[in-house]
Amino acid sequence: MIAKGMISTFWIELSFCVAVLALISRAKKGLKIPAINKVAGLDALDEAIGRATEMGRPVHYSPGIGDLTNAQTLASFSTLSHVAKQCAKYDTALIVTNRTPIVYPITEEIVRQAYMEQGKPDAYNPDSVRFISDDQFAYATACVGLMNRELPAANILIGAFWAESLIMAEVGSQTGAIQISGTAHTHQIPFFVAACDYCLIGEEIYAAGAYLSKDPVLMGNLVAQDWGKMAMSLIILVGAVIATVSPNANWLLDILKL
Amino acid sequence: MRREGPVLLGAITGIVVIISTYFTTQVLTTVKNEIDQWYLIAEAFVCLVGLINLSRIHFDRLSKKKPGAANSIALLVCMYGFVLFGLYRGSLGDKQYSWLYNTTVNPMSATVFSLLAFYIGSAAYRAFRVRTAEATVLLTAAVIMMLGRVPIGKMISPYIPQMAGWILDYPNTAGMRGITLGATLGGIATALRIMVGIERGHLGSD
Repeated sequence: MIAKGMISTFWIELSFCVAVLALISRAKKGLKIPAINKVAGLDALDEAIGRATEMGRPVHYSPGIGDLTNAQTLASFSTLSHVAKQCAKYDTALIVTNRTPIVYPITEEIVRQAYMEQGKPDAYNPDSVRFISDDQFAYATACVGLMNRELPAANILIGAFWAESLIMAEVGSQTGAIQISGTAHTHQIPFFVAACDYCLIGEEIYAAGAYLSKDPVLMGNLVAQDWGKMAMSLIILVGAVIATVSPNANWLLDILKL
Repeated sequence: MRREGPVLLGAITGIVVIISTYFTTQVLTTVKNEIDQWYLIAEAFVCLVGLINLSRIHFDRLSKKKPGAANSIALLVCMYGFVLFGLYRGSLGDKQYSWLYNTTVNPMSATVFSLLAFYIGSAAYRAFRVRTAEATVLLTAAVIMMLGRVPIGKMISPYIPQMAGWILDYPNTAGMRGITLGATLGGIATALRIMVGIERGHLGSD
């Protein structure tokens, strides 16, 4: 028996998952998947790494301060994988800073694997992936110190950020780094928009893995996300019309609250 | 198996946790609580890994006499000092341990947090200097918001606080909800991709 108050959510989520799996299956069969828009922030990743390579300075990557229960952290791993591969390819120094102990071994493994995939396991520096501190502001302070001392040419901040977002982005801006940021936390997005060169807004960080890999199967998944948004927008539109025409009719709200 | 094992484990635990959110039976709740406990144990264990990483980096910096080695000494003394003092007192709830934490770490965190006010000022100044239509809209909205939240705004015009409230309640809320909606769907899709094993970024491959 579905828990009370979760019935509508269950069916909406199930429908969305079915749509995602259907489009994955369609893509696996090689059927045509609609094109997706360009994401400037993700296209700029290679440009930022290229700039760091030319300047002979490192790239700093932060996966945010969320732990593994946060989907934004998981989404950030895909971008890190791409960044690490590019850095390994061009022999650019990469510094990954971690706030959460449980995220640290994973980012270390991602970077190590990237160097192995590029055929340069010896170029991997174990000290490039660092655990900093479990404390939010101690982590932010250490990142600020690192940016001032090691002057990374590119500062990539993608994941779950809270109050430390602006501290890190503003210092990165002052040190002259090209900055690419991204978070799904709506209260931090304005800070990133103001302080960074490129900002991935909300769902764009989840699309990064698919977008960067150019894998048609993963791209199909993004189309399902758009379908989901269209369906949700339709529900909102219907709700707005009902609320305008008949302000006392709550049947749609009652269905959604089931 | 090195790849399939973690994917399978992730899929099983993910499905169990999702199902237990919708179907609250005794068995599923017990299994979910057990998985949560395993996660906490794993998290506690990797703290040790983090400690080793920090020690390796800073002892290396000391042995090679790199610039800023004094900072490494401070870090190692504080880090191991807290660990040893905590072990000596035997409990994290100990009064003296709490006193040490509350009189060092808390004020330092508050100090860094307070720097945010200055960073907001400098970021806003730079953003408003950009001469584009978007920056003009941003500047106008920000001026109305700032004036609407202080008494002088009402003194200039009683409409300013009302305009600030309207900006906050309608365009701002609509934009925020749109982003939240897209991000939620993106989160579900990412979880699904990881569970079916087509996204393996967390395992070190695309």
